[in-house]
Amino acid sequence: MQADRRRINAPAGGTAAPVFTFTGNEDLLQRPTRTRKADEHRKIFLRTKVVPSASGSAYYEIPPAKSTSSNGNLVPAASNLKITCTVHGPRPLPRNAAFSPNLLLSTHVKFAPFATRQRRGYIRDASERDLGVHLETALRGVIIGERWPKSGCEVVITVLEGEEDGWWGDQQQGSEKSGGWGMMSVLAGCITVASAALIDAGIDCVDMVSGGTAALVRNPESKTEEVVLDPSPPEHEIKAACVVAYLQSRDEITEMWMKGEVGEGTEFLTDQAVKSAMMTRTVLVEAVKEGLEVEGAVESFNGAPKAAKGKGKDVDMTD
Amino acid sequence: MAPYTNIPLSPAELSYLYTSLSQTPPIRPDGRAPTQFRPLVAETDILPSANGSARICFADGTEAIVGVKAEVEQSRVSGAATGQVESEGVLGLGTGGVGDVDMDEEDGDEEATRAGKGEEGWVEVAIEIPGMRDDDALPVFLSAMLTEALLADGELKDRLWINRRFHWRLYIDILLLSQPLSYPLPLLSLTTHLALLSTRIPALISEKDEDPLFNDDWEASRFLYPQSKTASGGHRKPPVTLLMLSVSENVIADPSREELAVADAVVAISVAPTTGLNAESAYKTVALRTVDPPSRLTGAGVPTALNTTAGGTSLSAAEALALREKDQGQTVWRPPRGGVKRAMIAKMIKMVTEKGGVGQEVLEGLAGVET
Repeated sequence: MQADRRRINAPAGGTAAPVFTFTGNEDLLQRPTRTRKADEHRKIFLRTKVVPSASGSAYYEIPPAKSTSSNGNLVPAASNLKITCTVHGPRPLPRNAAFSPNLLLSTHVKFAPFATRQRRGYIRDASERDLGVHLETALRGVIIGERWPKSGCEVVITVLEGEEDGWWGDQQQGSEKSGGWGMMSVLAGCITVASAALIDAGIDCVDMVSGGTAALVRNPESKTEEVVLDPSPPEHEIKAACVVAYLQSRDEITEMWMKGEVGEGTEFLTDQAVKSAMMTRTVLVEAVKEGLEVEGAVESFNGAPKAAKGKGKDVDMTD
Repeated sequence: MAPYTNIPLSPAELSYLYTSLSQTPPIRPDGRAPTQFRPLVAETDILPSANGSARICFADGTEAIVGVKAEVEQSRVSGAATGQVESEGVLGLGTGGVGDVDMDEEDGDEEATRAGKGEEGWVEVAIEIPGMRDDDALPVFLSAMLTEALLADGELKDRLWINRRFHWRLYIDILLLSQPLSYPLPLLSLTTHLALLSTRIPALISEKDEDPLFNDDWEASRFLYPQSKTASGGHRKPPVTLLMLSVSENVIADPSREELAVADAVVAISVAPTTGLNAESAYKTVALRTVDPPSRLTGAGVPTALNTTAGGTSLSAAEALALREKDQGQTVWRPPRGGVKRAMIAKMIKMVTEKGGVGQEVLEGLAGVET
């Protein structure tokens, strides 16, 4: 891949926020632990219509959890997830493009340079392109493409804050375990937010697609393995993970990505990921409804829109 | 995935193919059984300047070469704050006395000293496909798929560890020599498998954390995947990635280009032989991805009622849409919508991993290739 020569880039090595509170006691560094139950999802914030100039847009956030190891460290122990998505189109293809009987979907996933501890460049790297292909597979299955011949649609996703692949304390101690597990949570978020944005843009879909993850994790104390929903990589020692894009009303999977040492438990892991996707869907449905109510309020009365009914209310994630 | 968008098949041909593939048993255009692989020609150790290499030629004329090169590289020094502590105490010279003994011993002990020390960045996969830029979606997707399968068991990267200061960096260069006629994933994966099996690394003669010095006798070099048997009596082998396709209720292995054009869903499954003793099946899944089937890009057919040249009436747009939706792809071809059922994916995994399944057939076939 060619180097980016148009801009003055920052040093290639990552920069990390300084840690001031060392008193020589190494025990200060504590790996964050999972406080929620194994079958519990983190809370999600999802809202549509955030970018007025795009035909559809949505914002997705897993807000920072209360730190489990709050011993005065400035660096948060666990990572959060903040994703924005804009959908442009459907719009006509350029005149010189070849005929296409279907809607041409293109997906573009980019991490902001500051999204993770390791700085990302301005040009998309291989892992971001790979995420884009995964997302395209997930969305292509739900969009009814033949209703828009000769048109194109772009789904642009910017990850403002990405899930880390592991706990930063491990990196400090030199035992870095990458594995790319953070990417799987990011993909699940991307699928959900893109689905909300597509609906906001009014593109015909067969169903609402939602993303979910599950992971097989090893408990370091009891030396046993269990399956957890919505893993946060800093909190776990992940052996295998699975992401699905799930259509609940059709009971179908449009995208599945699994890796790691699953052994015999592939089916169980998939079922758990689907369960996680069903939970995400409850939030997705409410966010879409809320978006429609806001739209209805604006159209019916061009003064101040009345507050939408479900606005600001928490949704219980059930499957 | 550009080359698959222009499928040279009409809606009528697509419909015919789909119907014949959804029969029980499916009737494939080339007359194969559902789980039968295409015949292939393979040879290994063909490049004298590479550590390992292989070439595979499929019967449809697609051909790939893989060269594996290993280079010694200095390891990244870990975090500055804790680095000093390490060299003095826990992991450093203090324990050197114990490490002394196992340099000359069997593989088993050496594997134990290396366990968990490898890093994922030490394996680099590059794919070259004619007519495509190396940052196009297809090569990026293929190399990510192959890399994650290789790294899944964690053994390969640990074998690249030399000592605390140096490691091997493995470059796996995959060249597709022909045009990508069918989805090239199985071809590239099988070739990589053979190349890695034939990869040899010079024997180390220096000790502990010295600058590495190697035996220059190639005969003394060691295989990257040891030929000795594991505890369970199987061989350690790199994984292979196979393509499975579903058409209505049928599952088909190793699809050709025409079959991909009518697929409901395509799944790439990476399998490796199990090394554990008490495993039920001989093969385990190490990675799985759904692949966007090119069938979603095909054009839909026009129902007779809408075709004005065949006596149909011209209807308004809304009526035409209602008619198409009502037809649901029953009388004319319509690109598939939605995804694949969970049970179908489980069925595909089982077909690949079970005893006497597709995975075993392929790996045993490849084991017959002489190095």
